[in-house]
Amino acid sequence: MNALTITDLSIDFPTTKGVVHAVSNLSLAIDKGRRIGFIGESGSGKTTTALAVMQMLASPGFVSGGSIDLGGTDVLALGEEAMRKTRLRRVSYIPQGAMNSLNPIMRVEDQLWDAIVAHEGKTDRTALQDRSDTVLESVGLPARVGRLYPHELSGGMKQRVCIALGVILTPELIIADEPTSALDVVTQRHVMQTLKDVQARIGAGLILIGHDMGLMAQSVDELAVLKDGVLVEHGAVRQIIEDPQHPYTKDLISSVPLVGGESFLDAEVGAPPVNRGKDGVPLLEFEDVRKDYGAVTALQPMSFKLDGEVPKIISIVGQSGSGKSTMGSIMLGFNPPSTGRVLFEGQDVARMGAAASLDFRKNVQAVFQDPYACFNPFYRVDHALKFPFKRFGYATSDAQVQDKMREVCVAVGLDPDLILSRFPHELSGGQRQRLIVARALMLSPKLLIADEPVSMVDASLRATILKNIYDLKDRYGISILYITHDLATAYHVSDYVIVLYQGHIAEAGPPRDVIGDPRHPYTQLLIDSIPWPDLDRSWGSDTTAAEDAEKLDAMARENKTVFRGEIPGFWLHVADREVAA
Amino acid sequence: MTDAPLTRAERRQQRRMRRFDNPWINPKLIWGIGLLLGIVILGLLGRMLWNLDLVFTGSTPLKLPPVGFENLRRQEGVWDYPLGTDGSGRDLLALIVIGAPNSLFVGLLASLIGMSLGIFLGFSAGFIGGRTDDFIRVISDVMITIPPLLILVVFQAAYGDVSLTMMALLIAAFVWQSPTRLIRAQVLSMKQSGYVQMARLSGASTMHIMFREMLPNLVPYLFGSFIANVTTSIVTAVGLEVLGLGPQRIPTLGRTIYEAINAGALIQNLWWWWGIPTLMLAVMFIGLLLVNLGLDEVSNPRLRKL
Repeated sequence: MNALTITDLSIDFPTTKGVVHAVSNLSLAIDKGRRIGFIGESGSGKTTTALAVMQMLASPGFVSGGSIDLGGTDVLALGEEAMRKTRLRRVSYIPQGAMNSLNPIMRVEDQLWDAIVAHEGKTDRTALQDRSDTVLESVGLPARVGRLYPHELSGGMKQRVCIALGVILTPELIIADEPTSALDVVTQRHVMQTLKDVQARIGAGLILIGHDMGLMAQSVDELAVLKDGVLVEHGAVRQIIEDPQHPYTKDLISSVPLVGGESFLDAEVGAPPVNRGKDGVPLLEFEDVRKDYGAVTALQPMSFKLDGEVPKIISIVGQSGSGKSTMGSIMLGFNPPSTGRVLFEGQDVARMGAAASLDFRKNVQAVFQDPYACFNPFYRVDHALKFPFKRFGYATSDAQVQDKMREVCVAVGLDPDLILSRFPHELSGGQRQRLIVARALMLSPKLLIADEPVSMVDASLRATILKNIYDLKDRYGISILYITHDLATAYHVSDYVIVLYQGHIAEAGPPRDVIGDPRHPYTQLLIDSIPWPDLDRSWGSDTTAAEDAEKLDAMARENKTVFRGEIPGFWLHVADREVAA
Repeated sequence: MTDAPLTRAERRQQRRMRRFDNPWINPKLIWGIGLLLGIVILGLLGRMLWNLDLVFTGSTPLKLPPVGFENLRRQEGVWDYPLGTDGSGRDLLALIVIGAPNSLFVGLLASLIGMSLGIFLGFSAGFIGGRTDDFIRVISDVMITIPPLLILVVFQAAYGDVSLTMMALLIAAFVWQSPTRLIRAQVLSMKQSGYVQMARLSGASTMHIMFREMLPNLVPYLFGSFIANVTTSIVTAVGLEVLGLGPQRIPTLGRTIYEAINAGALIQNLWWWWGIPTLMLAVMFIGLLLVNLGLDEVSNPRLRKL
């Protein structure tokens, strides 16, 4: 018996530029108790298909053909009220941003009760209490969580509450739309294990929507690869990963960077980078920098010196809340340190005059995480390139500015004629992020701070953008601080890696030692939590969640740093150190 | 002939598509602007074509009805005074030609001043923060709680006759609070946005960030707020005039209504005396409302329908 049968489904969105076929002729069947992954880039129609199953397509989209059969019911023929009853009871949806899906002014258990009452009518209070406690326990949360408000929970806990909400009425089908994309790897592993566990227990079908091949490999039984609304490949996960047929599937699999795997970067090094440093003075120096937010210490005191003579990429790795972004904003001078000093070429960043400050800005630039927010929607995208170029006094004539813009666009692989005169909303996230890299290239700073530059970009573009950033170092002599939560990419691009945990350096050293052969338990945990696109590699079992929590707790108390060696031109110091060979 | 309905439907479809493509082709917006322009044109053409001396007391026969109607004394309307005359011998067409643009002028001027103040204070509060923010917030919150009509009545009763500009200035003192709050909130959220951070990274000055990066993105809000303020200002002005306050020697729509009520136009069935100015006000408000709704649709694509 199939939980869901989709036959020849087509979904259209009429727009000003004609009808967009979001999904065309998609046919698929999902057995009860099976997990199926929908994988593809943004815009490939995976979420649209799932929403059509719930009759929740955003206007003006509509189903233009085909049928959806949910365990014997024709979903498309259901009226509003019948559909309302079907949602959650027979098919439930676990959304992407759990943060925004819970009502902030209601207790968790009230929200769970709401779901029951809306579908089963008035229910006895003790029965409600029993059921909410049971369902919370089934997702690995203590029953007392029910008495809490959403803001009192962590991201991972909220996502589990959403799962609890999705399974409380034991539906036949669960649709999970990138349920872990906002979570870090450690939490991601726990949440996915919870979801798989609960799904197996109630025997529902599961549609997991995502773009991470590694996560899919570890979580689903079958895989459906979508591209531009067309199902290009469908089969058992092992068959697809080990023997992909469609070139797009091959791309998706090869775009996952692996620790220790083959590098996605070109091995050949360009011309020897130019020496742009000042002799004897480090480019950037932290002197016992510490940052507190109220009573919370976001960054424990640390000192380092970065020479500008040979450009390097220093990676700062950690979970959300580890203090890595705080470090980035301190370096940019946006956020003054609570104690200690930040020196740029020997000058204190906090006490610079107007001229020195402009010089600092010229030489320290950034690439931010969110490429969608970085462009002013009012201006064409060339404003973001043109304005700083003129402001820093590099421009001699309009023609020169134009030539330079075209040059850097070509350098990052964008067609200047197509891109430069567009408005930001007309470009994809990947194109925007490359433009920001192009901007950095145009200004050619001595130091670039890249704060999670690819975390909001489609997987297939990540490698390209990282390659663009890597080229900045090799070809143009720009030193880079790469802030990320992704150990695999840090392994490939960086010359030195710093692993942060709760504002404290857990492990530091060359990537081949730190990531290839971690000694600190936290780094080990991070690496174990990465989902690999390799079915024979274990991703931990149900019991690991509790163990991990204990381990993390112990580490937070311990506060030791494991040093794994040094590289020339970078010197790091913290108070409490332990040197491991 | 058989394919005529089809092509018409197609043409309609095309027109809808064009409207979707270019949001400024918005029927509400066009109608609203048309109504307001109509009042301005009435004022301009009237000044050129009509004898404005007819606004003086006693320049015409009393209480004549508009053309095509009879008054209680069985007098017929005459083409010399097409909209009739009032109880003290003034031509209503001349009153409207002068009065309607006056009311619009007071509203626009008051709102313009209020908005400028609001933009300045809102940006200062949002951008500088700290004490400045506290001060501006407290003042604007306190001012919001004071009913403007009360203060204005007291003020005008004490000072007697005021000019139109003076009246606009007085009203402006009560319409800057809501734009201040609106802009402050927007500035606070925009300050954290990626493009403002980018501008800071580009070494942009505070002025550049405020006026070149942030302000353009506020334009839809500012327009909406401006139109809403014009409406409030006109309501306040007319309210004062109908109470007999406001400018005494300059014809305005509100003052005409005040005089009509005072002279017992309601019981004498002199409907044109108060009815025509009221109609003009209604046209003005409907125009402003349509412009506001239209601008809403222009700036918020989600409200647009295909």
